[in-house]
Amino acid sequence: MSAEGVSTGATQLVEHFFRHESAKLIAVLTRAFGFSRLDLVEDKVQESMLAAMQAWRQRGVPTNPAGWIYRVARNRILDALRREEAHQRALALSHQTEADVELLVTEWLSEDQLPDSLLRMIFVCCHPALDRRSQIAMTLKILCGFSLAEIARGLLVSTEAAKKRVQRAKKTLAQQQVEIDLPSSAHLQARLSVVQEVLYLMFNEGYSTSQGIEPLREDICEEAARLCHLLCEHRAFSTPSTRALMALMLFHASRLEARVDSQGAVVLLADQDRSKWDRQLIAVADSWLERSKGESPSRFHLEAAIARVHCQADCVSSTDWGLIVRLYDRLLALNPSPLYILNRAVARGESGEVDAALADLESIRTGRAMSNYSLLDCAAGRLHELADNDAAAREAYTAALSAAVAPHEQALLRKKLEQLLPDEPA
Amino acid sequence: MAKFMFLYRGGHEKMKEMSPEQMQQGVQAWMSWIQGGTDAGWLLDGGDGLNAEGQVVQSDLSVIDGPFAESKELVGGYSMVEAADLGAATELAKTSPMPAAGGTVEVRQLSGHTSD
Repeated sequence: MSAEGVSTGATQLVEHFFRHESAKLIAVLTRAFGFSRLDLVEDKVQESMLAAMQAWRQRGVPTNPAGWIYRVARNRILDALRREEAHQRALALSHQTEADVELLVTEWLSEDQLPDSLLRMIFVCCHPALDRRSQIAMTLKILCGFSLAEIARGLLVSTEAAKKRVQRAKKTLAQQQVEIDLPSSAHLQARLSVVQEVLYLMFNEGYSTSQGIEPLREDICEEAARLCHLLCEHRAFSTPSTRALMALMLFHASRLEARVDSQGAVVLLADQDRSKWDRQLIAVADSWLERSKGESPSRFHLEAAIARVHCQADCVSSTDWGLIVRLYDRLLALNPSPLYILNRAVARGESGEVDAALADLESIRTGRAMSNYSLLDCAAGRLHELADNDAAAREAYTAALSAAVAPHEQALLRKKLEQLLPDEPA
Repeated sequence: MAKFMFLYRGGHEKMKEMSPEQMQQGVQAWMSWIQGGTDAGWLLDGGDGLNAEGQVVQSDLSVIDGPFAESKELVGGYSMVEAADLGAATELAKTSPMPAAGGTVEVRQLSGHTSD
């Protein structure tokens, strides 16, 4: 029996060991055998991890668990290739011998070389030929070791839909004959900004409370931050906007715990127990933002700066809303998104300009650019409250309630409406 | 006290669909159960898993590949346990991660080790 087979009797695994081991092996082995073997590699890695589970559960974890799984996966892939026709096999091995491939893979799996394979895979999954939702699904599948069922739960689609999305994405990438490569310097900026966008959307998918809280979605936040950190550690990809994105994710992540109460219900920013915010994470985010200075600030810089203002305030009323309004002005100059207008309107209201804020909201409503009018009515309700116009606030919250889908949003709105009940006539 | 063997069967159907994170939870559940039983003293030997493929020697000394049982019938592992009687051993078997994993635990007393 090999040295790895000897049990150490260890009864603990590193957190997310299987998930990250899966991503690591799929990235390196697909790089070795070519994109066309992605399905084979995924299957064999899955099988190897099941074999590990079977072998370790009663005897404990071997001294080098990663090496154990790698050896099983490698042997199974080579076995499968040996059963193929000679010319197909030659193609998979790219005219190298099995021993050559083995040497290469061992090198790529080493700690200092591993990030390179993972980064190549990120650029494959975030290939511009794919739409955003597919890029996110592929990233979760290949780089984060999520099963189709987990992707479905995280992205609020059916497992069947997640499966179709991944299959279509693989087909598209195969048709594009993608190489598992880093982008050339000519395309670097454009390709990097796609990756940044995907990671940020992925983070937001996990962070959003629009459908309630589900622990798995926090894992999505964690994974997005982990991959962003990987970009930050690479000379070519650690640009000012990448670092600003890192800061932005960490500012948000510092509030993850405070977003839910002990019953698992969503807590709005205004009502959060700010002592629960992770000060250490905020400090790390601060230092990323400090190291993100560039020629012109990106949306990530501006959004991170806004998140930072919230993180620095003791409560809603001591928040520097004027600064937030100015930061949204600059964001709107970059991208006139109705969501930015809405958020700026709330900030304007909080800083005392309620009438201007209400006019902003009206402009979005007539522009018909929003998909979620419940959000608009919620914001209007808050503004009317600030202006002490309870009747108008009630009307706005009632409209929001009629459009709200998620049970926890309905509960929050009902609570608001109860607080706003007119005093009983004496 | 008497000695018992736990024979684990099945659970493979659920395994095929497992995500890496679920595998981690699965391994972790087993390892804590084995650790707990060892510390408490009733688990004499955590035992081991058994590979599916093997060979069977027939009474005429011919050898066939096997055992060819349905995967849910196939013994996938064993452990050795000490308990007062069959009932107590069965209660211990219920605490194993096997039922939740979709498999079964067969509890069998060792014939020659009944002491009292």
